[in-house]
Amino acid sequence: MSGDMVTLTIDGKEVTVPKGTLVIRAAEQLGIEIPRFCDHPMLEPAGACRQCYVQIEGQPKLATSCTSTVAPGMVVRTQNTDDTVAEAQVANLEFLLLNHPLDCPICDRGGECPLQDQALEFGPGESRFTEAKRVWPKPLPLSPLVNLDRERCVLCARCTRFCDEISGDRFLELYARGAGERVAIAAGEDFRSPFSGNTVQICPVGALTSTPYRFVARPFDLSTADSVCPHCSAGCNLKVDLRRGEVVRQLARDNLDVNDTWNCDKGRYAFRFPDSPDRVTTPLIRDRGLEPASFGEVVERIAGWCDGKRVAFLTGGRLMDEDYYALSKLARTVMHTNDLDHRRDGGLGVSADALVASGTATATYADVEHAKVIVVAGLDAEQEVPILHLRLRKAAKRGAKIFVVGPRVTRLHDVAAHILIRAGAEGEAFASSQEQGSPLAEVRAALTEVGEGGLVLVGPRLHDGSSAWSAVEFATRSGARWAAVTRRANDRGALVAGVAPTLLPGGRNVQLAEDRAEVEAAWGGPLMGAAAEPGRDWRGILEAAANREIDVLFLIGVDPLRDYPDADLVARALANVPVRVVQSLELGSLEPYADAFLPASAFIEKDGHVTTWEGRSQRIRPVRGGKGISRPDWEIFAIIATTMGGDLGFDRLDELHADMAPLVASRATTTSDVSPARVGPIEPADGELALFTYPLLVDDGRLSERSDELQAALGTEPFLELHPDDAATRGITDGARVTVRTVAGEAELPVRISDGIAQGSAFVPFNQPGFAANTLLRGTWTIAATVTGPDTDDSAEGLASVAVGGESA
Amino acid sequence: MTFERRLTRDWDDPSVVAVDGYVAKGGYGGLKKALEMDTGELIDVVKASGLRGRGGAGFPTGMKWSFVPQDTGKPTYVTVNFDESEPGTCNNRELGERDPHRLIEGTAIAARAINCHTAFIYVRGEYLWQGTVMERAVREAYASGYLGKGIAGSAYDLDIVVHRGAGAYICGEETALLNSLEGLRGQPRLRPPFPAVEGLYASPTVINNVETLMNVPDIVFKGAEWFREMGTEKSPGTKMFTVSGKVERPGNYEIPMGTPFRTLLEEYAGGVLAGGTVKAFTPGGSSTPLLTGADLDLALDYESVAAAGSLLGTGAIMVLDQTDCVVEAARRMVEFYAHESCGKCTPCREGSWWATRVLTRLENGYGRQEDMGLMQDMGKNILFRAFCALADGAASVINSSLKHFAEEYEEHVRLGYCPLTGAPADRTPAAAEEVAS
Repeated sequence: MSGDMVTLTIDGKEVTVPKGTLVIRAAEQLGIEIPRFCDHPMLEPAGACRQCYVQIEGQPKLATSCTSTVAPGMVVRTQNTDDTVAEAQVANLEFLLLNHPLDCPICDRGGECPLQDQALEFGPGESRFTEAKRVWPKPLPLSPLVNLDRERCVLCARCTRFCDEISGDRFLELYARGAGERVAIAAGEDFRSPFSGNTVQICPVGALTSTPYRFVARPFDLSTADSVCPHCSAGCNLKVDLRRGEVVRQLARDNLDVNDTWNCDKGRYAFRFPDSPDRVTTPLIRDRGLEPASFGEVVERIAGWCDGKRVAFLTGGRLMDEDYYALSKLARTVMHTNDLDHRRDGGLGVSADALVASGTATATYADVEHAKVIVVAGLDAEQEVPILHLRLRKAAKRGAKIFVVGPRVTRLHDVAAHILIRAGAEGEAFASSQEQGSPLAEVRAALTEVGEGGLVLVGPRLHDGSSAWSAVEFATRSGARWAAVTRRANDRGALVAGVAPTLLPGGRNVQLAEDRAEVEAAWGGPLMGAAAEPGRDWRGILEAAANREIDVLFLIGVDPLRDYPDADLVARALANVPVRVVQSLELGSLEPYADAFLPASAFIEKDGHVTTWEGRSQRIRPVRGGKGISRPDWEIFAIIATTMGGDLGFDRLDELHADMAPLVASRATTTSDVSPARVGPIEPADGELALFTYPLLVDDGRLSERSDELQAALGTEPFLELHPDDAATRGITDGARVTVRTVAGEAELPVRISDGIAQGSAFVPFNQPGFAANTLLRGTWTIAATVTGPDTDDSAEGLASVAVGGESA
Repeated sequence: MTFERRLTRDWDDPSVVAVDGYVAKGGYGGLKKALEMDTGELIDVVKASGLRGRGGAGFPTGMKWSFVPQDTGKPTYVTVNFDESEPGTCNNRELGERDPHRLIEGTAIAARAINCHTAFIYVRGEYLWQGTVMERAVREAYASGYLGKGIAGSAYDLDIVVHRGAGAYICGEETALLNSLEGLRGQPRLRPPFPAVEGLYASPTVINNVETLMNVPDIVFKGAEWFREMGTEKSPGTKMFTVSGKVERPGNYEIPMGTPFRTLLEEYAGGVLAGGTVKAFTPGGSSTPLLTGADLDLALDYESVAAAGSLLGTGAIMVLDQTDCVVEAARRMVEFYAHESCGKCTPCREGSWWATRVLTRLENGYGRQEDMGLMQDMGKNILFRAFCALADGAASVINSSLKHFAEEYEEHVRLGYCPLTGAPADRTPAAAEEVAS
């Protein structure tokens, strides 16, 4: 180990650091701050700003500590011990400030600006510059989210290096040279990167500012607290800035194990939902209309409705671990039902689900970064789990070989090999990868070669039960590890807590006596009466509700009319179930249906944990107090239990944690080799296409409400994407409005022709403003569809009758 | 002074521009000999000759070649720096134009020495004609079997690609040249890694100046000792000098290293224009510190020029006579660096920009007493502080002009106008003097 460590002296103090460390980092180890602008620990050294001069003994010139690597016995003097260095730094700051406008009083960065801070600490105090400053028109909008003020820019190239090295989308570049050099974007281009906000955060001056925060606050107006992003399963650590109790800004917070120091623009800018004017913070009960009532009143009524009745629970994927656990226990011990589900797809199948929920099958960001071969299956990482996308790019930079398997090319196109497979046929492809001529032969060979160094990420497109299982078996056969990647912030936590029809907490199978016994022992009583049957999944629950086989339906943190891939089924279920209890931040589209409403706290008001796709449970502390008389979900569940004469065993969070910890702890399980039922594979008939959909990062979701700049910057109109050959055979040209028909419905959409989609497949985004794709779906995320151009003779084409698998499952 | 011209010996014979004419005069003999030697031997000959890079830094060429690792599994590259851009320098231009095959031969030998099979000649964008000459010569060399598969009858393959720059001085800096060649922004790269280890396309790369490589065929053909017959012990051989400015016969002259400047000025360049006197001169291009009329007996070799406080650089001697204003000369030179700064680093981008403005002010008679100290600081704060050596050029001009001609600067401030070019129309000398006193 000592061979890899280097000892050097900085300002007379010895420090031992790993070989290859930069002098500026070694100085940080000693608590010595060397001023810097272009240096950023996550970016390659640039040596551009020249602020971090040090004197290295034996070198004729001053060195920049951000580009000098340590050497054994090196003697370094910083501005603290060497006057030449201090003078050089002052001189350099004088140069940097020549053309800086010093408009700090109206600059968003004022008060938290590295240039301002360092000019005060290390700068010359007064300028000897009497000439006219360089001027640029200001500000220049790079996108609806990001503005560029070229006068303030010190040309450190952090933003351009971010675009080049980290996000890889290269929107920003330095243009021209000398004093005319500037950050710019190609004419007519918009900074349409889902990571654009990071450039604002790492800008060492106020050159890049974000529109939502422009002129909103001064740093000393803000109260800041740590949190974790509620949007996707990436689990990015956040800093939340509040002004008078209202969120005005979110920044990425460093966590090298999770998000490094980045986050995506949705996580950064979609922060207004907790303060939405539509938020309801009082309990409501339907009388003549929906009337405000006390928690006590409403819960009494709910208890009365539920007593001895058939109750079912549907949740979204963004509650806390504690909420899911309390719900899991409420359903099993008080309501005596397994009819609860957090999902909206077919999952992995019970065997693989159990492996994931027990913590047996998993991978971390670090595993991704260090894997040698990575198969990204059924996942559009940039759009679905953006920070995972960045980590995949980092892995590629380290030399990992990446394969993306799915129906559509992703933004990993420059670092990964894409194997395009028709939507709905991915599972088949994995299952038959050993056959002659398999498109996955190369992938399998690469995985087999590296054994444990291989990693298969099983993404949402495969979560229809059997496809996921095929991918898992594919990984296992090749000796690779695998992990499931879900989309929403706490899908994983819900699974671990057992908000699933077949699984109890910790991935314990309700059907297995020994698993059930462990839970019964912990909970001190029989579960669900005597029944050990799996409950209904989300689709079963909705169908049962539509068929009047359920009496009370709880809808918790879910927007069913938009979230589930069968709009028609949801509408029938909501219409036919006698009692609908809504527990959420707002009523939204459920307003006509809700019989009772329970106001839940938003994530910034809660104390608890969320679990990343990796299975990492991260603690969140409240950033502010609850709004109105909203309550954390788990508390509401505890109150319901008590009101119904039950007892969840906890009234306080620490009691809940003590109750939960033993059951959700990781434990080793083995698969039960149950091959899941095939749910949803489709075989489009002649002339049909496999229509698939998934939500894009910026869509019409509830949590993006009022984030208008985000929508303007990254949102997109609804569209239908087609392969050029499929378009040609139908006589469809790019931009034409086409009609897409499935057994569930039809829609007219503008077409985008792209060779980045598998032939025979068609893509529509799930939930763009103006079009909800679930009106075309029948319970699966892929469906047979016909697409006809504006000039096609409809009567000749006809609508073939299609058997859609899974519809009756 | 008489001696046997080497690099320029065929300049009077236009036939050597064509491959047949070149071969008729013994051309490609060095390459044929090199192809029979092993690479170690070849590098040793060049090392023994003491040939030093003519691009400005004077680094020993053989040593540079020996730094290239040949076992990395990557290809190796030779890149010819024909981006001659230093103000006052145009010898590569004439060398390439009058004797293009000698450059191709030298390049091919260098390629052979480091086992390179693809070499690039990076021609300055403004050298439209010279680029065309090189392209034609390369085509001819292919047709005559000196390039392509099995060059000069050997089993060795070599391709040469002529690439034209797009008009940036910084692309003469070797790592910026590599960036430009790769299609990236012409900005210098961090070193280490050095180009010898990770250069073009992250592969081991040798970058040599045109004049350097044109010395190589004769060194190989005639031997290291022959090369050392001229020049000094540490700076052997002859060197091209471009003399311009206030002289009777400006032009490119080849002289043995160590020849006194006075000989070059008087015997070759015909002395100072109209019998004037030397006020100042640059020994090696505008980026080298100015010397004065007191340095006429300076021997022109790397060591002697360095001892006099300047650099031999590219051998571009620009002569100022007694009628030239040093402040104006400095302004024009610094403005050049401000214009050509790539913008990457602060001292160069901002320092050269600011210095240009202050010098303009001084020259126009708007100087202040404190500007002297300011200029002194600025020179100090730019020199050796920037990412690459470009900014040092600007600093050299500032520092050396202040060192030798401080009085002239002060006079500008005192008078409120330039004492050499006269008072601006809106002010009379008398009025300005009144203000100054």
